[in-house]
Amino acid sequence: MWKSAALDRRAFMRAAGAGFLAALGPRSLYALERADAVFASGFRAPDGTYGIATVSERGEVIDRIALPARAHGLTYCPATGRGVAFARRPGTFAMIFDPAGRAAPVVIHSPEGRHYYGHGHFSPDGRLLYASENDFDGNRGMIGLYDATDGFRRIGEFDAQGIGTHDMTVSDDGRYLLIANGGIETHPDFGRTKLNLDHMEPSLVVLDAKTGHVVQRHTLPETLRQLSTRHLDIDGEGHVWFACQYEGSRNDLPPLAGYFSVGEDLTFLTLPEETTARLANYVGAIAINRRDAIVGLASPKGGAAVLVDAKTGRVIREDSVPDAAGAAPSTDGIAVSSYRGDLAGTRSALAWDQHMIRIA
Amino acid sequence: MRLSFTLLSTLLFAAPALAQEAAPAISEEAARSVMTHVVDEVIRPGYRDFAAQAGRVQEAMAALCATPSADHLESAKTAFADTARSWARIEIVRVGPVIEDNRFERILYYPDRKGTGLKQTQTLLTQQDPGATQASTLAGKSVGVQGLTALEYVLYGTDAEQLTKSANGFRCLYGQAVATNLQRVAGDLASQWDAPDGIQRAWKTPGPENPLYRNGHEALTEVLGLLVHGTETLRDQRLETFYKGGDNPVYPKQALFWRSGLTWVVFKENLEGMRRLVHASGLKDLLRPGQIWIFNSIDVYLASLSNKAAEINPNLEEAAKDTGQKNKLDALLADSRDLVLLYNDDLGGNLGLTAGFSFSDGD
Repeated sequence: MWKSAALDRRAFMRAAGAGFLAALGPRSLYALERADAVFASGFRAPDGTYGIATVSERGEVIDRIALPARAHGLTYCPATGRGVAFARRPGTFAMIFDPAGRAAPVVIHSPEGRHYYGHGHFSPDGRLLYASENDFDGNRGMIGLYDATDGFRRIGEFDAQGIGTHDMTVSDDGRYLLIANGGIETHPDFGRTKLNLDHMEPSLVVLDAKTGHVVQRHTLPETLRQLSTRHLDIDGEGHVWFACQYEGSRNDLPPLAGYFSVGEDLTFLTLPEETTARLANYVGAIAINRRDAIVGLASPKGGAAVLVDAKTGRVIREDSVPDAAGAAPSTDGIAVSSYRGDLAGTRSALAWDQHMIRIA
Repeated sequence: MRLSFTLLSTLLFAAPALAQEAAPAISEEAARSVMTHVVDEVIRPGYRDFAAQAGRVQEAMAALCATPSADHLESAKTAFADTARSWARIEIVRVGPVIEDNRFERILYYPDRKGTGLKQTQTLLTQQDPGATQASTLAGKSVGVQGLTALEYVLYGTDAEQLTKSANGFRCLYGQAVATNLQRVAGDLASQWDAPDGIQRAWKTPGPENPLYRNGHEALTEVLGLLVHGTETLRDQRLETFYKGGDNPVYPKQALFWRSGLTWVVFKENLEGMRRLVHASGLKDLLRPGQIWIFNSIDVYLASLSNKAAEINPNLEEAAKDTGQKNKLDALLADSRDLVLLYNDDLGGNLGLTAGFSFSDGD
């Protein structure tokens, strides 16, 4: 059984209801009806505007929602059917949307002194939304807590115990928040400029989801201090996989991914040197197909996608994917989109952004 | 098990919005040529000039401190303006040694939304911290009191008239230390880029053993990134810091160098630095003849931005009250957005560097 934070496609259509389906154009409706899986991704349209689109496993755009600016990561809650797109850092908005069209989108904003880092995740019951944020004057990553039962009112925050917080997720049982602190200092006054490449502090942190207390904090060895731990996903056995971007010498061959379980040490994935080189020391997205125990790694810099067996760490397949962007579990593997608008053999007019999630 | 990738077969599909003829592969030799032009004709001369200008402002401040006079103050202001202009021409380079050891912030601590650097500078002047009059000890203080914005305050801020009142006053000696510190940082940058086996070698010789770029494609993407990010910075950090357009409030005193009236002078130099990079790089030679419109368009936009900036009143409080002037500010915002797309989509896409919009800084 494929297990993930997604509805199946028929449930998605039932949830969507006649109104949403009737509002779809014939081409979109056809795409949805024959879709085995539905993804969501941020995009840039040909006219330069930004939005979120739902798209079939064949790369056919089903529906789209306009955004005020560029998005980055997304999350989806199957319990409530709501998704969230987070602004690309140092953006300050997040849009809550219902891909089935039952509710109008809602835009929330980070509070004064914070901006979003581009990722977040719901609690399993969908009652809480967690968002990675930057306390930029304090130079510390935070996890903002939003009450999804009360208009996404911000109700608190936890210290992420690191700087340059990027991706975060929640354990399946909801007990732990799992956080990738990339270790790179940025400040909105300096745009996206990386301010501390010569003294980075990457870390992977486990927090108690109820209290925010630190359960575990992994720092990286000195030799890997320029290895920015940035993206996360959880496999079927509860291993938290992390994917990295290396800011050190381009001719180094650092480990670019690894995993850990709560209470255990980090294990780095040993990839063949040519595979590491192909990923150009930069993994932009990670996704896990739990049913098939496959980890997908996508690299825009290397123009490559790599599939790894989650159980053995063995490379299953490598492909050239120019401008590889998002990765998400498909019905039978890992789907990879591209900045060029490619997804599964279809080139859309929409340029897909860095992340893609599966919602049905 | 079928693995659903976006396989190369997708290239067979039409891409209406991004439709571009497949870009010719750029040879490693061509890439090395571009990188050599960029390093030898833009970056190294840029930092050397900045170091030379910083030396002149240091000398001018020393003369002012030793023999205060209106003439020497004027000379110091002129040297400061020349230094700020020189920095603006090379500021587009936001990679390499300049982002190590906080050099960038030591040179220019801006934007400063909360006025942190300003308050620290004012406090330092009030308390007459003796450690601020020596470059060696100043370098250990907050970066907010070390750079061009601090020196501007010394020369143009409240009580600047003290500079001509007595020899070797605290304010002047602090300004002299700032200038000396700037000269040191600028000299570091120039010598790091001039070292034959240093960063210039890495830029000029992409390859499998190179610590920065494993091939020409990666190296050229860096150059294109300078243009895209440089334009984004121009918009985000030189315009939107005080003017976001529409009915948003205007904050004239958030503009860079509003005290010295150099806001638009350095804005134009930012554009000039970009123009030099575009033209010196030889990127134009990598395009097909039918794609020269891209370069022509870039030139048109750069000239338009520069000309409009020249027409805006450096007194931004006044400019903000004038509808015609606000229209020009709006045009700067719009033009800078267009220029980003020209670099990113048209130039980058047609060079085969990217057809997307992220420059691989996908996070």
